[in-house]
Amino acid sequence: MFRNVFNYTLIASTIRLATPLILAALGGLFSERSGVINIALEGMMLAGAFTAATVTAFSHNPWLGVLAAVFAGVLTAALHAVATINYRADQVVSGTAINILFLGVPALLSGALFDSTGATPQLPREQTLPDIALFDAQSSPVLASIFNQKPLVYLAFVLVAATFYVLYRTRFGLRLRAVGENPEAADTAGVSVIKIRYAGVLISGALAALGGAYLSIGQNSLFTRNMTAGRGYIALAALIFGKWDPVGALLACLLFGFADAVAIRMQGTVNIPNQFIQMIPYLLTIVVLAGLIRRATPPKALGVAYVKE
Amino acid sequence: MRAKLFSALAFLLLALHCGCATRDLAAEASDKKAKVGIVFDIGGKDDRSFNAAANSGMLLAKKDFPIILRDVEPGDPTSIEPALRAFSQYGYNLITGVGFAQGPILTEVAKDYPQLHYVLIDSVAESPNVASLLFKEHQGSFLVGMIAAYTSKTGVLGFIGGMDIPLIHKFATGYEEGARYVNPNIKILQNYVGITDAAWNNPGKGRELANAQYEQGADVIFQAAGNSGLGVFDAAEAYKKFAIGVDANQNWVKPGFILTSMLKRIDNAVYSIVKDEVEGKFQGGVHIYGLENDGVGYALDEYNKHLIPQHVIEKVEQAKQDIIAGKIKVTDAMAK
Repeated sequence: MFRNVFNYTLIASTIRLATPLILAALGGLFSERSGVINIALEGMMLAGAFTAATVTAFSHNPWLGVLAAVFAGVLTAALHAVATINYRADQVVSGTAINILFLGVPALLSGALFDSTGATPQLPREQTLPDIALFDAQSSPVLASIFNQKPLVYLAFVLVAATFYVLYRTRFGLRLRAVGENPEAADTAGVSVIKIRYAGVLISGALAALGGAYLSIGQNSLFTRNMTAGRGYIALAALIFGKWDPVGALLACLLFGFADAVAIRMQGTVNIPNQFIQMIPYLLTIVVLAGLIRRATPPKALGVAYVKE
Repeated sequence: MRAKLFSALAFLLLALHCGCATRDLAAEASDKKAKVGIVFDIGGKDDRSFNAAANSGMLLAKKDFPIILRDVEPGDPTSIEPALRAFSQYGYNLITGVGFAQGPILTEVAKDYPQLHYVLIDSVAESPNVASLLFKEHQGSFLVGMIAAYTSKTGVLGFIGGMDIPLIHKFATGYEEGARYVNPNIKILQNYVGITDAAWNNPGKGRELANAQYEQGADVIFQAAGNSGLGVFDAAEAYKKFAIGVDANQNWVKPGFILTSMLKRIDNAVYSIVKDEVEGKFQGGVHIYGLENDGVGYALDEYNKHLIPQHVIEKVEQAKQDIIAGKIKVTDAMAK
């Protein structure tokens, strides 16, 4: 029984389940580190997922789908940016509005494009993102089966490293953090708070949309209504959980993915009611949050619109 | 100030988003044709499965009878009641609620409008103006369970349900009994996508559950999971194994990888109820659809006929007759 749950397929499953979360959490990081709350990750993921599936359905090219998804994510994020940065709208309200908007937009557009209400046609497997094997199946079969994933999976891990570098080792990263902590000081030092926050929010949309694209044309082969099923919120939780740090967020996402993968494998093999098994990821979160992390301090200026004196 | 204005605008947009459906209904309220309204389940009418079956029945009825057809796809469970009430308020003659979740709501609404007729799919409302449509899913599942067991080379089958509820256990139990009828030692893995209604719309999780089952040796998986089941089909294609569709005929979705589909002829049932309504012969009460009246069954078409050998079809047809005759008893997981 133990071996049914804990074997090497669990690792592959963990990575697959964590990928959309990692991408979205990194997205959230860029926005929130600049001081803009991004509860709209869910909507941005949906925008990305829908656009990726739609563009791929027409162009038969998943790469074009990914590119279009990024574009859609940036566009969606621009809505959030204009509302919260220029018009200083409440960041949570704007984010929630975007989430609700993207429950409806795919339904509307798929009606016009595919005579459907919220789904895209199922793509043939050749038109979804390919699996890329990193190891040779002959010499190391286990590693080969674990690391035979979609390109976006590898990209997610590369982006964690890249985010770490950008955030802590570049001038842009320093400014991003400064704007999120103390926008007045940054402004005094000659940093454009507006520009940096725009950059943060737009990058956020691009990354969250990549997470959505992974769901629709990586893991699956179509968009269905609300297919993110709350992953945007979980990514946001992971970001907080990981103390707004790329490595912390990565670990938090992997933990969520792991808990989910374990729950999937425990169902039916362990004699525990399903309702309890399905609670595992959430229980684990509470335990880790309360027991290990205790206090996650957000960027100081998070949620506060900047008014130039 | 500007911030407040923007928030107010956002709220206004939300309000509009909910309000526009009712205006259309009012415009048609004066027309003479029979007005038919349908409120779908959370999966939406494009789930290529449960709701799609109800929708295709309605569309066929619309083609054949002079009716005005309007549908609502509730975005979340809280918008079911307003939708049902809106149809009722505008005097729709026949109002259909799709899915067990609408049971308690429709029961209440139907009591408030005794002069209108209602249809409830997959649940029972104790009211004379409601036709409650129930299906013997366990019987159809038994037959596809047999086909799965005959096809399996590994002796391991899978079942993936959407939401973990008694209705879906009915599919699981029938499937299991059908498989064991062929091979008593067969192993059946069972998973559910979730325990909330989000479980019907999570193809990513469906895919991952199917991955896990195929990796544990399953070579046929029967899914009863709405949109989440489409993820199971993706997994079947990736692993080059079989999946079994549900409710509607889904054989066409991934040709060659879908062994068959457990048909639940909601389309036929809905069509005949609309027909009754138009002809003034509407009857309330419980309507039951099973193998005996082709309310459930399995799909055999050009996409899968090369996948199932003739001798298997003969055995399955024999079992079908035996079930109808009462010689084979299939457990109904909901009947206690």
